Amino acid sequence: MFTGIDIGGTNTDIALIDSDIRTIKVSNSKGLAQALLKAGDGGRLAVSTSQPLNAMVTGSTGRVRTITIPGPGLVHGGAVKGAVGPRGDVLEPVDTRQVEGLLRGCRADAVAIVGKFSVRNPVQEEIVRDIARQFFDDEQIAISAPLGGLNFPARIATTRINAGIKATVVSLSDQIRKTHPDFLFVTSDGGLCGFDRAIDNPSLLYHSSPATVALGAGYLSKKQDCLVVDIGGTTTDLVPIRDGKPVLQTLFVQGRRTLIQAVTADTIPLGGDSCIRDVLTQVRSGNARAFGGGEPTLTDALNVLGADIGDVSRSCCLDPAKAFEAYQYYLETLGAIIHRKDPGLIVGAGFLAPYLIPDLADEARVRYYVPEHAASANAVGAAVSRISIRIHARADSGRGILTLNGVDYPLPAGISDDDLLMYAGEIVRTQARKEGAPAQDLKELLTSQYSVYNVVRGGRTQARITDFVIGIAPGITAEAP
Amino acid sequence: MTTGIIFGPEYLRHEQSPTHPERNERLAYTMDQLMEEGLFDHPDIMLIPPRKATRTEVLAVHDPGYLSFLEESSVTGGMIDYDTAIPHGLIGDALLAAGGAVIAADAVIDQTIHNAFVLCRPPGHHAGRSHGGGFCYLNNAAIAVRHLQRRGMKRILILDWDAHHGNGTQEIFFTDPSVLFCSVHQFPFYPGSGQIDEIGSGEGIGYTVNMPVPGGSSDQVYQYLLTEIVIPLAEEFQPDCIVVSAGQDNHFSDPLTGLALTARGYATMMQEVCILADSICLGRLVGILEGGYSVEGGLPYTNLGIIAAMAGLDISAIREPDSLLDLLHRSVSESAISQVITITGELKEILSPYWTCFR
Ligand SMILES: [Zn+2]
Repeated sequence: MFTGIDIGGTNTDIALIDSDIRTIKVSNSKGLAQALLKAGDGGRLAVSTSQPLNAMVTGSTGRVRTITIPGPGLVHGGAVKGAVGPRGDVLEPVDTRQVEGLLRGCRADAVAIVGKFSVRNPVQEEIVRDIARQFFDDEQIAISAPLGGLNFPARIATTRINAGIKATVVSLSDQIRKTHPDFLFVTSDGGLCGFDRAIDNPSLLYHSSPATVALGAGYLSKKQDCLVVDIGGTTTDLVPIRDGKPVLQTLFVQGRRTLIQAVTADTIPLGGDSCIRDVLTQVRSGNARAFGGGEPTLTDALNVLGADIGDVSRSCCLDPAKAFEAYQYYLETLGAIIHRKDPGLIVGAGFLAPYLIPDLADEARVRYYVPEHAASANAVGAAVSRISIRIHARADSGRGILTLNGVDYPLPAGISDDDLLMYAGEIVRTQARKEGAPAQDLKELLTSQYSVYNVVRGGRTQARITDFVIGIAPGITAEAP
Repeated sequence: MTTGIIFGPEYLRHEQSPTHPERNERLAYTMDQLMEEGLFDHPDIMLIPPRKATRTEVLAVHDPGYLSFLEESSVTGGMIDYDTAIPHGLIGDALLAAGGAVIAADAVIDQTIHNAFVLCRPPGHHAGRSHGGGFCYLNNAAIAVRHLQRRGMKRILILDWDAHHGNGTQEIFFTDPSVLFCSVHQFPFYPGSGQIDEIGSGEGIGYTVNMPVPGGSSDQVYQYLLTEIVIPLAEEFQPDCIVVSAGQDNHFSDPLTGLALTARGYATMMQEVCILADSICLGRLVGILEGGYSVEGGLPYTNLGIIAAMAGLDISAIREPDSLLDLLHRSVSESAISQVITITGELKEILSPYWTCFR
């Protein structure tokens, strides 16, 4: 049994997949415990927490105090003395008194600790973290080394997100583990990760929703190349799928580059709950009237035009002419955007897909497909996804260390370039197996950004440095029914 | 106000031998530093990939016979001097370095970017019309200068601050009054040329300016020469564009030379050159990497400092790690400045017939 849960803005979707697919919708007001109960406890559980985390990141994550250790070069806010070099050697000691001075009496809700080149040696971030532990709980402190990648400003932005949402991720994780000790989280690239990895780097979980929907729609439709049109309450998301996979890109949050890899998606702020105030607006003030809300929405317009969604009688206060106009406006707006993307085929997802997709495809002059269970494509995607890992690796034969996302492993002396990739690959596989990945999902590892140089001092080669990114790409697990 | 960085992974390809001072490790820590600083995402910085220079672009500077020699030796392997071998496939890498300088020139003229820094290898300023040497094959800066001129820029100022004298560039423009070549370099030192009485010949007399400095010369010396010689000359010459042969082997930690410049000194110097370019030539400025062999203690910080200065970023915290401070103190010569003041007086005397600013 493969079980997926997607915690949305108002409802939680559950998909249970073995030889057939069952889907369940539970109102968030009933609480997560209720959803976990309905999910049962057989087989594998994957949880997408996108919506609550999105709300925190774009709203208020509380006050996050940033401490940076910039060393030589460009300086950022919250700087303390200390430096690690490009090869991971400590160049200047951390000024621990300065750190204490910044944290003592600091009334922040969380602390983000970011040192330049910490991904090559996390020791100075760890020193600052140990001091921070005198003043804060562990779940209020985030360091940047587990992010793995170079880019100090992006690590600052990402670590601030991590510090802000870590406590929520920890409590969510604790709650789910009570009934499902081996559960997995869905990540922003549509893959899965164990809770340990998520707590080290909570940003992995941020913005997972479009990836989950795309994966689910791809699985349900069996289409390799298409544009998934996911019609939600507040927005309509357009997610391209190429060769059976969503496309990944770097995520910017509030204009700042992060180290989060997320699925490429266009979000148009129109959905089933968009209010009709004379015309269709980008405002959501609650549910559609058909689902007990106060203001008429696009969903109510569909009812007025002949659909049968929820309590149709409550939709009837909407003037049919206005309903038609709002409906047309939605089709024309989305139709034009989709037509420009020239996708050939659109696959519908979301509760309203069967009602809107045929006319939308007509408007955009493309073919369409609305799979069964389209309403729960998100939860289906979570259920069938597989464990994905992305690790920044650096081997330094001089220091005898292989650093994988800020964690040091011994590097065997005299290891060849090929054996190094095998060695790092085996560590990646072990991590994935520990989280529950089946052998078939571990066959193919992806390696990219490979570069190598020798360290020469005094005319003699003293070390060989190898950098690469290695991991398991997201996708659908080989075990999916 | 965007600064272009011309760089591609191809610039890491060329190596004469794995342990040669001019090896790919030269840019490894620099690229780490630039990436870690997030410079390539900075709104004022644009990464531009290089392309190969065309034959026409190269032949505007070099003899056809010399180009053929490089092309043929790139197949067979060859030798220019004791320090400068021609490894297999050299010509492709050399053309990419020169082409990077040409692209930078184009982008600055077209105002795609405000100014540009070419992080190329191999370097170029020892390469003359028909010879290479000193790790150099094609003269990247000279090729960029001729390209700028073909595109309508009449007068070009070259400031060559590499620790070694830019003998190749000097030779190429020795008789040419449209290019004012100014070089600051350690003397006596490789390649042996660059004394104050080498001032050009024929119509180009007065348009070659050499500022030899003793070992141990520090930030203070370079600031002094900029103020006393380079800026007055530039203001009188009124170039349409400034090209900097930005060697970074004057850094105090450089293993091949004996000068004592700091990363902050480099950044400040580039900042002054930017201000100069803004005041006389609409900011048009192309920096081209030449030497620099302190791969770990120097280049990451000097390259960052130069780029930060060109992009108008805060350079107040550009520095080396504290662990190198002892070496800095040992490298600086206190007497260098007084020697340089004397030489500067003589140089002004020699140049005074050609430049009113020195009368
Ligand atoms: Zn040099």
